[in-house]
Amino acid sequence: MGEGEGLAAPQPALPAGAGQDVGRSCILVSIAGKNVMLDCGMHMGFNDDRRFPDFSYITRNGRLTDFLDCVIISHFHLDHCGALPYFSEMVGYDGPIYMTHPTQAICPILLEDYRKVAVDKKGEANFFTSQMIKDCMKKVVAVHLHQTVQVDDELEIKAYYAGHVLGAAMFQIRVGAESVVYTGDYNMTPDRHLGAAWIDKCRPNLLITESTYATTIRDSKRCRERDFLKKVHETVERGGKVLIPVFALGRAQELCILLETFWERMNLKAPIYFSTGLTEKANHYYKLFITWTNQKIRKTFVQRNMFEFKHIKAFDRAFADNPGPMVVFATPGMLHAGQSLQIFRKWAGNEKNMVIMPGYCVQGTVGHKILSGQRKLEMEGRQLLEVKMQVEYMSFSAHADAKGIMQLVRQAEPESVLLVHGEAKKMEFLKQKIEQEFRVTCYMPANGETVTLPTSPCIPVGISLGLLKREMVQGLLPDAKKPRLLHGTLIMKDSNFRLVSSEQALKELGLAEHQLRFTCRVHLHDTRKEQETAMRVYSHLKSVLKDHCVQHLPDGSVTVESILIQAAAHSEDPGTKVLLVSWTYQDEELGSYLTALLKKGVPQAPSGGS
Amino acid sequence: MSFAGTYCVIMDPECSKLLPALCAVLADPRQPVADDTCLEKLLDWFKTVTEAGSSVLLLQENPCLVELLFQVLKPQDLSSGVLSFSLRLAGILAAQENCFQYLQQGELLRGLFGESGPLGRAAWTAPTVRSGWIQGLRSLAQHPSALHFLVGCGALGTIFSLQGDPSLFVASAAGQLLAHVLALCMRGQAEEHPGPQASDWPTCAQQIVDHVEESLRSADSPQVTQALNVLSTTFGHCHSPWTQALWVRLSPLVACLLEKDPVPAAHSLVDLLLSAARSPVLSADCGLWETLAQTLSHLSCTQAGPLALGVLKLQACPQTLRAQAFGVLLQPLACVLEAAAQAPGLPGLPAGTTGDSVVVDTLLSSKSACVGLLCQTLAHVELLQPMPQRPSPWPQAPLLGAAVAVLRFCNGSAAPTSDVGGRLCVILVGCVRVQRAALDFLGTLAQGLGPQELVTQVLAVLLEYLKSPDSSPTVLKKAFQAALRWLRSSPKPSGCCDMDPHSQQFLRELLPVLQKRLCSPCWEVRDSGLEFLTQLTRRWGGQAGFRHTLLASEVPELAEQLLRDPESYVRASAVNAMGQLSSQGLRATSASPEYPGGQQKSLLLDLLHILSADSEGFPRRAVMQVFTEWLRDGHAEVAEDPEQFVARVLQVASQDLDWEVRAQGLELALVFLAQTLGQPASYCPCTMAPPEVAPPGRLAQALQALCRVRLFEFAFRALFDCDRPVAQKSCDLLLFLRARAAPCGNPQDAGSSPNVASAEAALQRWRAGQQGQPQEDLEPEAVMAVLRSVDLEGLRGALAESSDHVEKSPRSLLQDMLATVGTLVENEADCY
Repeated sequence: MGEGEGLAAPQPALPAGAGQDVGRSCILVSIAGKNVMLDCGMHMGFNDDRRFPDFSYITRNGRLTDFLDCVIISHFHLDHCGALPYFSEMVGYDGPIYMTHPTQAICPILLEDYRKVAVDKKGEANFFTSQMIKDCMKKVVAVHLHQTVQVDDELEIKAYYAGHVLGAAMFQIRVGAESVVYTGDYNMTPDRHLGAAWIDKCRPNLLITESTYATTIRDSKRCRERDFLKKVHETVERGGKVLIPVFALGRAQELCILLETFWERMNLKAPIYFSTGLTEKANHYYKLFITWTNQKIRKTFVQRNMFEFKHIKAFDRAFADNPGPMVVFATPGMLHAGQSLQIFRKWAGNEKNMVIMPGYCVQGTVGHKILSGQRKLEMEGRQLLEVKMQVEYMSFSAHADAKGIMQLVRQAEPESVLLVHGEAKKMEFLKQKIEQEFRVTCYMPANGETVTLPTSPCIPVGISLGLLKREMVQGLLPDAKKPRLLHGTLIMKDSNFRLVSSEQALKELGLAEHQLRFTCRVHLHDTRKEQETAMRVYSHLKSVLKDHCVQHLPDGSVTVESILIQAAAHSEDPGTKVLLVSWTYQDEELGSYLTALLKKGVPQAPSGGS
Repeated sequence: MSFAGTYCVIMDPECSKLLPALCAVLADPRQPVADDTCLEKLLDWFKTVTEAGSSVLLLQENPCLVELLFQVLKPQDLSSGVLSFSLRLAGILAAQENCFQYLQQGELLRGLFGESGPLGRAAWTAPTVRSGWIQGLRSLAQHPSALHFLVGCGALGTIFSLQGDPSLFVASAAGQLLAHVLALCMRGQAEEHPGPQASDWPTCAQQIVDHVEESLRSADSPQVTQALNVLSTTFGHCHSPWTQALWVRLSPLVACLLEKDPVPAAHSLVDLLLSAARSPVLSADCGLWETLAQTLSHLSCTQAGPLALGVLKLQACPQTLRAQAFGVLLQPLACVLEAAAQAPGLPGLPAGTTGDSVVVDTLLSSKSACVGLLCQTLAHVELLQPMPQRPSPWPQAPLLGAAVAVLRFCNGSAAPTSDVGGRLCVILVGCVRVQRAALDFLGTLAQGLGPQELVTQVLAVLLEYLKSPDSSPTVLKKAFQAALRWLRSSPKPSGCCDMDPHSQQFLRELLPVLQKRLCSPCWEVRDSGLEFLTQLTRRWGGQAGFRHTLLASEVPELAEQLLRDPESYVRASAVNAMGQLSSQGLRATSASPEYPGGQQKSLLLDLLHILSADSEGFPRRAVMQVFTEWLRDGHAEVAEDPEQFVARVLQVASQDLDWEVRAQGLELALVFLAQTLGQPASYCPCTMAPPEVAPPGRLAQALQALCRVRLFEFAFRALFDCDRPVAQKSCDLLLFLRARAAPCGNPQDAGSSPNVASAEAALQRWRAGQQGQPQEDLEPEAVMAVLRSVDLEGLRGALAESSDHVEKSPRSLLQDMLATVGTLVENEADCY
C-alpha cells in the first residue's frame, strides 16, 4: 500500500446506535493491503437483526472470506464475540479466527448460554444453533501470550495480557514495518483474580484503545468490594436472602472468590448456592488457565486453589423455598428469563431480601426496570409484582480509567491513537489530553466512520554488486550508522526493489540511452565575423573559468565540459551575432551559469582592438 | 422489531398518558437520554402505529409530539440522539400526505430539514444527526408533495454532498435516497416513455440525473463509485420503462469508463452492469450485452470474475456472452491445469479457454494475488455448479482435474515439469486458504460424475490430505466432508445394494486414517472424525462390505472410548456415533462374528450414566436424542423393556438443569405416548388434527402404562417449567393426550377420590414452582380428571407469547424511559 493504512469503521453497525452505548465492538483495519476484523460483538439491547453488526458494509462484493485475512477476538464478553457464530456460520466467513486459549475455552460457554436464553424467551428468529457455535469454534486458532503468530507470509499478530477478564488480550497486528495495536477491553490495575495489562514499547503506527472510563478516575475496587460484602452480610444477618444475577462466567467467579474468602474469615454459616451447575466447568477453566490469573492466586495455588469453593454449592430449584438466609448466584444476569427471574419473583415481595446487580442491564429486561427504580412490575397475565426487596447496583467491571489509558499510551508509544468503546463527550476530553501530553494525533470516529492515516513504511531495496563496488572505489564502505547518498536507477521487478547503475538498468531492461540537451540563444552585439566572435568568447571564458576545461575546436565552436557554444550571424541584423549554447542535463548548473555570464556581454578581445 | 398483539398497534390510552411526560423529557437538554436503543425502539413503535392508522389523528390526539418537534427547532443544546430521533419521527409521520400538509402548516418540516434546522448547526457534525436527517427524508419521500418539498428546500444538494460522507452509513443511505427519489419523480412517467432528452424529465429527476452524469465524468474515483451505486440501486429496484431511457442516456458515459486505465470503481461498475442486465426492461437492449462483453475483456481477471459469474447466472443472455464469461471464469483453473501439465490441449474445457498469459502473470505476481484469485475462482465455479442455468456441457472432467491439481500444488505432491508449475508449487505449498477452498469445490463436484481414472485421483488426493500430518483441523474437516460427498455419489453396482469396489477400497484405506484421527490431540479433529463416522454409519451401516471393514478396524472401540473424552463437544459426538453404531449392531465385540455370544457392557447403561452425571449439556442432550431415536426405531436394548427404559430416562431427565434436556425428554415421552396409544410416532400435535379416540379397553391399558413410567408427573411438572419451550412442549403433549383419551373415566366418578385430591395438590405445588412428589402414585382416572380441570388451551395461548413480551411492550418501554430519567448514567458504561 505504500503510503498508509486505512482504518475503517469501528463497529460497522447501523447508524442509529452511536456506538457509545453498550454496543457491539467490531472494527475493521486495513494495514498494508491486509484486512483484519477486530472483535465481532453483539448488541444485547436488540432482539432482531440489529443485535449483530451489518457486515454488508465491509465489502460490496460479498465474499468476506476472500476479503478478510483474519478475525481477532480480544475476550469472551458477548459485546466482543457474540456475533461470531452468526458471522462465520450464517453470513459465511470461512477464514481463521484468532483468540487466546482461555477465550477459546470460555467463549462457546457464553455463546451457548446466551443462545439458550434467547431461544428460551421465544420470538427470537435468525439465531445461531449449538451446532453452529461448535462449527465456529472449530475455525478458531488459539494463541499464547507473546507468541508471534504468522497469519500468512506477511501478516503477523501477537497477544499481550489485558487483565479485564480471564484470557483477555491486546493484539499487535504487524505487516512489514507497519503495525497496529488493538487493546480490546483492559484493566491497568490488578484485581482480586487477575493481573494488570501490560504491553512492551512496540511503538505501533496506531493504538486503538477502548475508552469506557475516559474521564473517570475510578475509586479503588477494594471500596466497592467492601461495600458489596457489607450489604450481603447485613442481609444474611437479618435472615434475608440475597440474589445475585450473573452471566455464567467471568464476574461470577470473581464474586465467588470474594464471598468464599469472606465466609471463611467471618466463619459464616448461611449457604451460598450457584445455579445452573456451571461452577464446575468455570472452576475447571480457571484452574486450567491459572497462569492467566494474578500472582497471589498463582502463589497460593499449591496450598489452596482459590477456585475450589468450600462454601459454595450447586443450587437446586427446591432450595429457593427453604426458610432462612442464603445467597444465590443465578443466571441470566439481566433477570430476563430462566432461573434468576424465577427466584426474583419468589423473593421480591419480602423487604428483608436483596438483589444485587453486578452489571449493566439493557432495556426490556426486569433487571433494567428495577435498576431504574421501578417497584411495581407488570408480570404476565397483567399480574402486578410489588418489589419490596432491596435493589443494589454494584459495578465490578474492570476497565482502565483515564489514568490507566494514559499509562498504556505511555507504555506503547504509538504514533497515533484511536479511541473506541466510549461515550463521545468523554472521548473528546481524553483525546485532548492525549494530544497534549504525547503530541500524537488522536482520532475518535463514530460508528461507520473511516479514518485513514499516513505512515512512512520502510521499503527494503537491494543494491547491485556493480554499483556497490563502484561506490566502494570512491573509498566509502557501507555503514549502517552513516547513511549516505547513492545514485543509481531503482528497478521494481517481481515485487522487489533493486538499485542498479543506470548502464545496468538500460541493459537489463533492453533500452537505448537518450540524451537530453538544453539549448539557449544569446544575442551579442558584435560586427565582426562569427569566428572572431567565437574567439572572443573563448578568450573570455578561458580567463573566467579557470577550473574548467575550455576548448576552441577546429570548426570554430567553443566547449566547456559538455557545453557547446557556436556563434552565428543574425539573419536580420549584421551588427549582432547569435551565440547558440547547448548543454546536457547533467551539466545544467554550469550551462545556466554560462548563459547568464554570456548574457552580460563579452569584453573586447585584448588583441582585436579598433 | 414488531410488537405483537393488537393492543400495541393502536395507541393504547395508557401509552397516550405517558407520552407527554416522555416528550417533555426528550425536549429538555438537561435530561440525558440514557440509551439510544430506547429511541430506536420508540421509532419502531411509531412506525407500527402510523402504518396501522392515520398519523394526523395520532398527532391530534397526542399534541405533545408536534410540540416536541417544535422544541427541536429552537436552537438549544439537544443531544444528537434526540435530534436524530426527532428528524426520523417527523419523516415517519410525514409519510402520509395529509399529515405532511398538517406538519407543513407550521413550516415544521422546512424548519427541521431546511437550512435553518440542524443542517446549519453545530450538531450536524454528529453522524447520527446526518443519518437521522437522511432517514427522515427517506421515510417522508412517499408522495408528490414531498418531492416539491425536497426541491423547494434545496435538500437535493445536501443529499448529493452526503454521498461522500465520512460515515459509511450516511453515505450509503444518501445514495439509496437519491435512487428512491428518482424513482418517485418518475412514477407518473411510467407509461409515457420519456425520451433520453433531459428536457422531457421532471425537474427533480433532471437534477439527479445531471448530478449522476457529472459524477460519471469525474476524474475522482469515489465520485464515480457513488454515481454507479445510485444507478445500481435504481436498476435493481425499479423496472419501469423510463429506466430504459435512463440507460440509453447514461450508457455512453458508462462505456467511457472502460477506456480508462485502470478502470475506475470496477466493483461498482460490475454491480451496475449486472443489475441492469437483470432488469426485465433492459434485457432487450443490445447495447448492454456489448458493454458487458467489453467490460469482461477490459477488467483484470480478479475484477472480471464476479461479473462473469453474474452473467452466467442471468436467466436470458446471448450465448456468445455466456461463452465469453465462462471462459473468463475458468481461465485461472485452465492456467493451473496447463501448469500441472496434466493433459495437453485441455480436453473438455470450452473452446478458447486457455491459460491466458495475463492470468498467469497475476497468479505468479505475488502470493496474495495468487491465493486471492484461486480462492475466488473456486468459490465462483462452486456456486455455479448446482445451478440449472450453468453452462452446458459442463466441463466436469477438467474441473476435477483442476481441483486435484490445485490440491496437489498445495500439499507439495505435484511434480510439475513446467516453469509456471514449479513457481505455483512454491507459492501454494502449505496454503491453508486455498486448500479449504479447493476441498469445498471438490466436494461440490461430487454431484456430477467423472471418468473413473479421475475419480480414483480424487479419492487418492483426499486420502493424502486425511493422512497428512500437515493438514490443519479446518482442512481435515473439509476433507472429511468432501470424502463423504464422494462416497455418497459413488455409483451402486447393479443388482447389489452394496458400495462399488472403488469406494470399498477407499474405505479400507480410510478407516485406519480415521482411527488415527480419532486419537488426535486436537478436539476439533476428533470431533470431525466422529461426525464423519456417524454419517458413514447412518448411510452404509446396513451394508455388508461396510460392516465388515468397519468391524475389522478399531474405529468402533475408539469411538466408545471417546465417550469419556475431556472435551464435551467430543463426548456429545461420541454419543451420537455410538448411538448410531449400536442401532446398526456395529459395536466393537458383540456383533463381531468372532465373538458371537460376546458379553459386553451395556451401552444403554453407559449413556444413562452420561445423562445423569455429565457436567455439561451437549453430551446429555445427545444422549436424549439417541434414546428418542432408539425408542422410535425399537433398538434391541430398549425393546427388552420399553417401560422401564422410559421410566428411567424420564426420571433422570426431569432432574436435569438444562432445559433442552427436559424438552428432549418430552420428545421421548411423546414417542412413547404415540407408541402406547397406537399412533404413528411422527404425529405432531401442533400441526395436525387431533387423533382418533382410542377404544376404551386399550386406552385404559395405555394410561396405566403411562402412569407406571411416571410420564404424567414428568409432563405436569414440565407444564409449569420456568423455561418456556419445556412448558410449551408439555402443553402440546397433554392436549394431544386429552384429545386422544377423551372418553376415559368420568370426572364425577373420580372427582372425590383421595387420589385426585393428591394429584391436584401436587399440581398446585408444581404450579407454584415447588418441588415434591404426589402423596401416592397417580392413577389414570385421577390424571384424566386433573387433565380436564387444567385450562390447557389458555395456557397454550399464554405460552405462545415470548417470555419477555410484557417487558418488550411499548408501554413498558415508555415506563422504562421515564424511569431512567435522573438515574446516573454511570451504569451504562459498565458493559458485561
